[in-house]
Formats: sequence, structure tokens, C-alpha cells
Amino acid sequence: MRRVAARLLGVAGLAVLVVAAAPVSVVACCGVAAAWLGGWPPGRLYRAALWCGPMLAVWLAATAVATRSLTGLAEGPYLAWLAMWHDGAAGSYPQAAAVIAPLAVPAGLAVGGLAWAWRIWSMQTGSGGLAPGSAVSFDRRQWRHQARTAGALIAAPGAVPLTTRSDSIGVGAVIRVVGHRARKIAAIPYSRLRSHQVVIGSTGTGKTTLLLRLWAGFMATALRRHAAGQGGAPLLVVLDCKGGADARRIADRARRVLRLAGARSTAVWPDEASLSLWTLPPDQLTTTLVDLIEHGTGAAAYYTDVMEAVVGLAVTAPDGPPACVADFLTRLEPGWLTAAYASGGYDAELALARSAARQIGDIALRFRTLFRRLGAGLDGPGDLSNADAWYCILEGTAEVSVAEAQARALVDLLASYAAHGPAGREILLAVDEFSAVSRRLPVWQLYERARSLGLAVQVSAQSWEGLAADEDERYRIAAAADGGIWLLRTPRPEPVAALAGTRKVTDTTRWLLGPGTWSRGGSSRVRDAPVVDPALIRALDVGQAAYIYRGGVTYLQVKRLVSAPAALQAPATEAPGAAAQPEEAARQPAVTRERPDRAAASPARRAAGAPALPDASSLLDEAFGPEPTS
Amino acid sequence: MTAPRDPGRDTAGLLFAAEMYGVQMDQLAIVLGVGEPQARRVAAAWRARRYAESARLGPGMPWTWLTKAGLAACGLRYAAAPPALGRLAHLRAVVAARLAIEAAPHYVTGGGYWRSERRLRSRMGGRVGLREHVPDGEVHWPSGAAVPWAGECWAIEAELTPKTMRRTVTIMRELLSRTGDYGCPADEVRVPGQPPRHARAVYLCSAAAQRVVARARAELGSLGARIEIRSLPPAAAMSAASRPAQRETQ
Repeated sequence: MRRVAARLLGVAGLAVLVVAAAPVSVVACCGVAAAWLGGWPPGRLYRAALWCGPMLAVWLAATAVATRSLTGLAEGPYLAWLAMWHDGAAGSYPQAAAVIAPLAVPAGLAVGGLAWAWRIWSMQTGSGGLAPGSAVSFDRRQWRHQARTAGALIAAPGAVPLTTRSDSIGVGAVIRVVGHRARKIAAIPYSRLRSHQVVIGSTGTGKTTLLLRLWAGFMATALRRHAAGQGGAPLLVVLDCKGGADARRIADRARRVLRLAGARSTAVWPDEASLSLWTLPPDQLTTTLVDLIEHGTGAAAYYTDVMEAVVGLAVTAPDGPPACVADFLTRLEPGWLTAAYASGGYDAELALARSAARQIGDIALRFRTLFRRLGAGLDGPGDLSNADAWYCILEGTAEVSVAEAQARALVDLLASYAAHGPAGREILLAVDEFSAVSRRLPVWQLYERARSLGLAVQVSAQSWEGLAADEDERYRIAAAADGGIWLLRTPRPEPVAALAGTRKVTDTTRWLLGPGTWSRGGSSRVRDAPVVDPALIRALDVGQAAYIYRGGVTYLQVKRLVSAPAALQAPATEAPGAAAQPEEAARQPAVTRERPDRAAASPARRAAGAPALPDASSLLDEAFGPEPTS
Repeated sequence: MTAPRDPGRDTAGLLFAAEMYGVQMDQLAIVLGVGEPQARRVAAAWRARRYAESARLGPGMPWTWLTKAGLAACGLRYAAAPPALGRLAHLRAVVAARLAIEAAPHYVTGGGYWRSERRLRSRMGGRVGLREHVPDGEVHWPSGAAVPWAGECWAIEAELTPKTMRRTVTIMRELLSRTGDYGCPADEVRVPGQPPRHARAVYLCSAAAQRVVARARAELGSLGARIEIRSLPPAAAMSAASRPAQRETQ
């Protein structure tokens, strides 16, 4: 009986206080209601209170000037409170509000923040709410409110900039954070995109939207840094290992988005642009060519050795490495190899060519078949420096073996470009569903090579299983993702969620005495809870993602990049895999395929290739004299 | 006795000076096809009409450049400014290169047209980023002209001082791989599969720069076949402007 009386007394005292400080109470209630509706963290109310500081300072200064005494200044709040009541009693409500606002608004926001923080804390620890399930429904409701607020934020034009002055890439609006700093805009520093990242999300969850945003952010930020002299020119290489019509649609979208980000050119390989395998250094070219052919172990190893020897002879011939497929295939003949090494000084190579003569025909047949299946995409012309971004489509679903060979060749080309190309170029290699084509080049090996070459690799997959072929490899990839892991809705997020680790949370038990009545007794304990809630990941909506980094997670709503309308329809290509069209090639000023060491030859020699540029020396000699000899 | 003035030549001279940022008096005399005293009188007449300004900006002959009124009279929307002091030597070299190529009979036969750097920059509308290299000029050859290179567009580069190898190679690559016109949308600047804008790049080098340019061309590999290297005309040197004019007027 006495306890009930004390409780009633307490409630009555609180009611008196609330009524006496009515303006503060009203503002606090409004603040809590707004925070509840918007799913805000309490910090937002505290910051709002701080922003009212100048108003309070001006009011205090005005009071000090008016009263000209410290006592008057000290009495100011009380007098304002009295004036508010008097004005209210007289029916002058606007005047009453104006009199007390400088004091009541900051104080009310601060009180509201405290009340909201207490509410959240009590729900998180399980010590609040009337019903046993209050904490769960509170959390679900708050998630809905937070998601709605984030959705409203990204709907506002310009609310989420693609890149910021501090070299961060704006990805979307924050829904909720655990272990990360609470912000409105989810932005990741550029340096994270220069590290390895992993993106996992099922089809239709907004993975492509997220990837496009990250690529565009990378391109825009890197271009700005490059213009400011803070970094090299960017190069984005995307390997879409699924292929098909969907890949081409995404390629078109990527091109339009990257154009807006400042990329001057995006090449779609092999549909619209080609690369030349023959630009690889001779040793690397030999290895790559041998690896393109599927070969076994055991007895087949002997055959592999013979093939490597023959390819090596063809590539490192005294005349220089081959310049195209036709040139290479021409060399895979006993007569050609014997003639090439017969000039003296190549006795060992000559003997090798003669002893392997019986197998050369078979080797040539295999390569002829391989290059026919590969198409013209790797036979040039072109190299990676020709575009700011390359979107490479590998038919990993339709033609796995071809896509595997293409993937191997493309990665070797990129590695060679990174090692021997222009120094300082900032390269991001994005591979989607690479596991479909990674039989000959495991993803972790790609990771290791990329790390040594200074490339950043972004691996994306539809599921944890799609990351790599076996569990060990998947964990190696995920663990090496020092730029963070992006998780969209996926059926089995547990392995990735486990990688995010745990955090300390407090659980409180209490006794339910009856409907809505709890005992005052109970106990609390600290336990480890996962940072990433797998159930929440499974329930993510389209465009919602979780960014896991350093033991924390940021849930966000990805801002979709609005790209320019589709370009005019490109000239129809004969078939996927066909590279530059013949007429297109004819429009190109033809150049001879000379190695760099032979390029400085005379104009006559340079013009020897067919069809060469018309000779303009008659004009140039008239105007400037003959070419100087240096 | 002075030769009668040709209004057509006057206009051509005004346009020439406008396109090239400014010209020195000896070069103006060649453009106008008159002697230097007559060129001075022409420049004085331009000044009297407030079309041009003249001043001795550096060693050698005075420079003449167009004022805002002069540019407006030519229908050009360039920003009026005297030639930058740091670029005087380069500007003179480019003017000398243009005069030399325009004097070649094949140029006349082929109907070549010089598109100046100032025009290219004007087309870009102040959007020249750090990554964009603008050549010192372009020469356009109309299709169907009676020269083998009809239909081509050449980039002209005057190299007075040697740059680093890497920079030179980068510029060469950029010139040879560009597909779009200057001032085009960013995504059309280099479109793989499209024919390059510049069929070839003509490097006109001083003795000091020749070696680097030649090595850079060798570095380009097969692309180097599209680089032509020649020496700058003797009149390109600033010191040539300080000597008494020895050239014959055209």
C-alpha cells in the first residue's frame, strides 16, 4: 500500500514538473516524437540543441544589455518563464511562445534527446516496454522508420553527392549503424576503393546499382585527384563473367553512368573494342598462350612440356614475337621454325625445333581451334590505355571453357599493363561471378597478384558460395577484403556476418507480474551478440545494403545513379565476340604492327606494312626539310 | 614610294594575328606580303582604328595583337589579351611553322586549312582540364583534294624545349588516340573503335628537343608510325626576330 502511494506521489510530482516546465516539456515531446518517427539517434536531438546555442547566447546578451546587471541576467530565465505564463493567461500565445523560446527550445531538445536515449537503452536492454515483446516490435518499427527516412533522403535531388571534397564516395543514406559513427550520408573514403572489397547480393537486390555507384564514385574521385596532381589516372576494368544479354544491358548502363562521372571512354570488350594479347612481353606471352590451352597432368605433362617448348620457340624467334594470331599460327610449322633458327647461333633451338617436329602439327591444330573459339577480341588492335574504363563480357554461362581462357588472358594483360604500363595509374579490377571462370586462375591467386601489383580488386557474387570454389578460398577472399564487405539480401549471410564479429550487449531479465505490470526485481548480464544480424540481412529490401568494416556495420539505402538516356543505337554487330568490324577497321588509319624496338625505323620501313598512311614527306620536306637524324 | 594596300590582305592579316594570339612584325610582314616598314604602317592603321595593340614584349621586333574591338570586327569571340610573356618564344615558333607549311606548294594544292590552338581552346569553352592536351594547331585536308593525304587531319606540335620522355609519350598517345573534336562531350573524346581524329601528328622540334621526341616516338611502338618529326624553321627562333629581316616578302 505504501509502495503504491509512493509511486502515485512520484507520478504526481513528475506531472507537476512537466506542467511547470510546460514549454520545455512540449519541445521535448515534439523532439522525441520526431526522433521516433524518423528513427533518429539521440545525437541528432543533442546536435539540434547545440545549434540553438547562438539563439540562447543572443537572448542572454540582450537580457544583460537590458538589465545592465548580473543579477538581472541571473533572473532573466525566471522572469521570462513568468512573462510566458502571464502572456499565456492573457491569451497572447504567440507572444508567450516568443518570450520563452530561446530558453525552452534548446533545453527541450536536450531533454528530449535524453528521454529518447533512455527509451532506446531500455528497449535494447530489455528493461522497458509494457509487453514482453515490446523490445522486438520497437526495433522492427524503428527499422521501418529509419528505412523510410533514408528513402526520403535519397529521393531528394543532390542529397547524396557522388564524391566529396574529402575524397569520399557517397553511396547512399544511412539507415542504421552498429559500431560505426552515425551519419546521415553513407560515404566511404576513396582509400577503401583502392583496397580489396567483396560484394554479395542475390539477383534483384540492387547489387548492380551499388556496383555502378561505387565504380562511378571511384572514377569521379580518382579523376579529381588526378587533376589535382594527387594521384594517377584511373583505370576501371570490369570482368562480367556471366555474359548474355543482361551483361550487355549493364555495360550500356555502366558506360552512361561512368560518362557522367567524367570517364571519357568506356570500352565494351569484345563487342565494340579489342585488346591485343601480342603486346605481352615474350616470356609472359609464352606462359599465357600455354595456359590458354587446357592440359592435364600425369602423362599429359610430357605433352605440355613439348607444347611450351614449341610455343616458346615461336614467340621468341629471332624475328621478334608474333604480332597477331595469323602470324603466330604461321610459326607453328616445322619448316618455319627451322628456317627462323637456321641463321646460325641458335643450335639448341634448332635441335629443339627438329625434335618436336612431329608434335608441332597437333599443337598448331589446338591453337587454331582455340583462337577460332576465342574470337577476335584478343587479337587487337588496342590496349588498356585506350579507354578510362573497360567492361569485359565473358560468356561464363554459355561457353565456360572459352570464358575461362579469356579471363586468364585478360588478367594477364591487366597484370602486364600494371607492371609495365604508365606508372602510377590507379586501377580497380571489378570481377562479377568470377568463380564461374576461375578454374584456371583461382580468385585468391588473383587477389595475391593484384596486391603485389597495386591493383584493387572488387569481387562480387550472388551468394557466399558464388565467391569461390571452396570454403577455404571463400574465407581467404572475405578475410582479405580490407576495403570492407558489402552485403545485400542473400539467403545465407551467416558466414559473412560471422566475419563481422560480435559486440557486447546487456540483457536484462524482469518478472512479469500481470498484464502490463512488472516487478522491480531482475538481473542484467553482458553477452556477446553478432554485429551483423543475419535475419536483418535476409529481410533487406531492394537497394538496402550492409557495409561491414572493422567490426562495425552501416545499413544503408543505396542512392541510384540516374544516368543519361541511352545513346543512339550502335551499329549492329554480327555476333557477341566479334571485335572491330572490317569496315570500322578500314576507317582506322592503319599502322604497321611493329615491336617498339623496330618502330624507330625509317619512314619507308614504317610504311612497309599494308595498308600504311600515305606518304606526306613531299609536303613536310618542302616546308621543313627532311627528317632530322638524331 | 609605298605599295598600295590590299584590303583583302589586311583582313587576312587581322585574322592571322587573332588566331595566333599575336605576331611579331617580321612575321606580320610575311603574312601581309609586304616589307617591314609597310607592315608597321599597317599595324599603325589597325591601332588607329583600335583594332590592335603593339608593344615590344620581348627580344626582337614588336608584337601586334588584336583588341576586343579587333576581335569583334573579325567575328571572333576570343578573350582579348596581349600574348603571354612566358609563351612568346613558343608563339613565334608556331607562327613560323604555320608560315612555313602554308608556303609549301603542296599545302596550296591540297587546300590545307590551319586550325589554331586559340580556336581549339575557344571551342572547349574554358573546359580544358589538366588531362586535355591541346595541340599547337591542326591542319585539315579536305577530302577529294589532289594530295594522297586528302581527308586527313594532322596535329601540329612545336617543341622548343625538351619535355620528359613520359610526358612526351603521353601527349603523343593522347593526340593519336583522340577521336572527338575539341569541345565535344567527354564521352566522345576517345571512343574505341572510332577512327582517330588525328591521322598523324607532326612534331616540329628544336635541336634540343629532337632527341626526346624521337625516343618518345620509338616508345610508342606501332603508333609511332603516325608521328612525323621535322626541324622547326630557322625563323622560329626568337633570335631570328632580332636580326634584320632577310626573307623575301611573298
